[in-house]
Amino acid sequence: MAEENITFTLPDLGEGLVEATVLEWQVAVGDTIGRNDPLVEVETTKSAVVIPSPKAGRVVELHAEEEQVVPVGDPLVTFAVEVEERAPQAGIVGRVPTEDAKPQRRVRLRPPTN
Amino acid sequence: MTELIEHTDAPADSRAVELSMQQAINRALRVLLEEDPDVLVFGEDVGALGGVFRVTDGLQKEFGDQRVFDTPLAESAIMGMAVGLAMNGWRPVPELQFDGFAYPAVDQIVNQVARMNYRTRGAAPMPITLRLPSFGGIQAPEHHGESLEALFAHTPGLKVVAPSDPAEAYSLLLQSVRSDDPVVYMEPKARYWDRRPVVLSEPTDPIGTSRIVRPGSHATLVAWGAMVHRCLQVAELAAEDGVDLEVLDLRWLKPIDAAGLAASVARTKRAVVVHEAPLTAGLGAEVATLITENCFRELAAPVQRVTGFDVPYPAGPLEPQYLPTIDRVLLAVQRTLEY
Repeated sequence: MAEENITFTLPDLGEGLVEATVLEWQVAVGDTIGRNDPLVEVETTKSAVVIPSPKAGRVVELHAEEEQVVPVGDPLVTFAVEVEERAPQAGIVGRVPTEDAKPQRRVRLRPPTN
Repeated sequence: MTELIEHTDAPADSRAVELSMQQAINRALRVLLEEDPDVLVFGEDVGALGGVFRVTDGLQKEFGDQRVFDTPLAESAIMGMAVGLAMNGWRPVPELQFDGFAYPAVDQIVNQVARMNYRTRGAAPMPITLRLPSFGGIQAPEHHGESLEALFAHTPGLKVVAPSDPAEAYSLLLQSVRSDDPVVYMEPKARYWDRRPVVLSEPTDPIGTSRIVRPGSHATLVAWGAMVHRCLQVAELAAEDGVDLEVLDLRWLKPIDAAGLAASVARTKRAVVVHEAPLTAGLGAEVATLITENCFRELAAPVQRVTGFDVPYPAGPLEPQYLPTIDRVLLAVQRTLEY
């Protein structure tokens, strides 16, 4: 499995809010977390909310300090996530076929008797 | 990509160069453009881009945009233009970018390309070779994995061919373009990246001949395009069980090599035909009939067919279940052995 870094930006937490203040990080760099685990508590002009993690992965970087104001769309956190190694893109569509080193089979044959 | 099985007839030849099927087709197009000033290569993205699969890479630069050129995204117009060019003495080699997009051009292909020579009593032959990237195996979206050989083989006036490896792709394309009859040349997309040492050679076998890619004695597997490779995998596995399978690459799907099929099956007494297209009214039915007509007394079991299913070609992730699997082919072989 290969790893790929994915950066999660602060989403619009509702009705066109433009920013939020980081109250408390609930993860630290190096933590391995699951999807939907609590990630960070932020406060908007409407309320304080806990944002769940959109990904399972390892936290690589936190882009904001606590008490910092983060505009919607700015980077919040970067994860290293495991990605399936995919075959290279074939062209405009499709993927280059990959082949098992040893083709897999379940059926066994019995040689003919006649 | 690991290549487990080498074709048994692959020569250990000092003239061999390592080429993918894409490159082999590209080399053949170069030869054809060089040898005959009437040859024209055109289609969507074949010029400046060099083709979505790099098959026409560099050709426009080398031969100019009067002989290698891009067309609008309009398949019927591409084939209609080929008809007009052919009537005026050119030798068109159009590409329709994907199998499923040949459907918009079926009117031109069936009503004009296939019939013009007959209609004009030979005054307007159609030396057109339609390059059609075909079949499945690359997890592409809808319309990019179709097998149209039965439709075109059923159309009087067309020849149909599907190469299975780079050397074959090279010589069969030379043969197709030099033919004064229209040929549908079906390129197995899944084998485009198949790299192997190949000796580029002039075609020696006549149009309409098949070839034995692996000799065997217990049953004949009949296939074309990418399924030849699948059958070679099956034959390799069957050998572990002491079953000796012959693999026949039909390659010409119109005209079909009835004599070659009969010669093989008369020896092995059993046959399994494998294709990607759906079962019903697929070319496997034609192959099975020809074998039965010619080998009725020799046959030890009914001819088996292993094919795609009678459903629209599925989305990418389901492709491995749709295409004939190793186990499905092995089971069909077992049915012929046990009959």
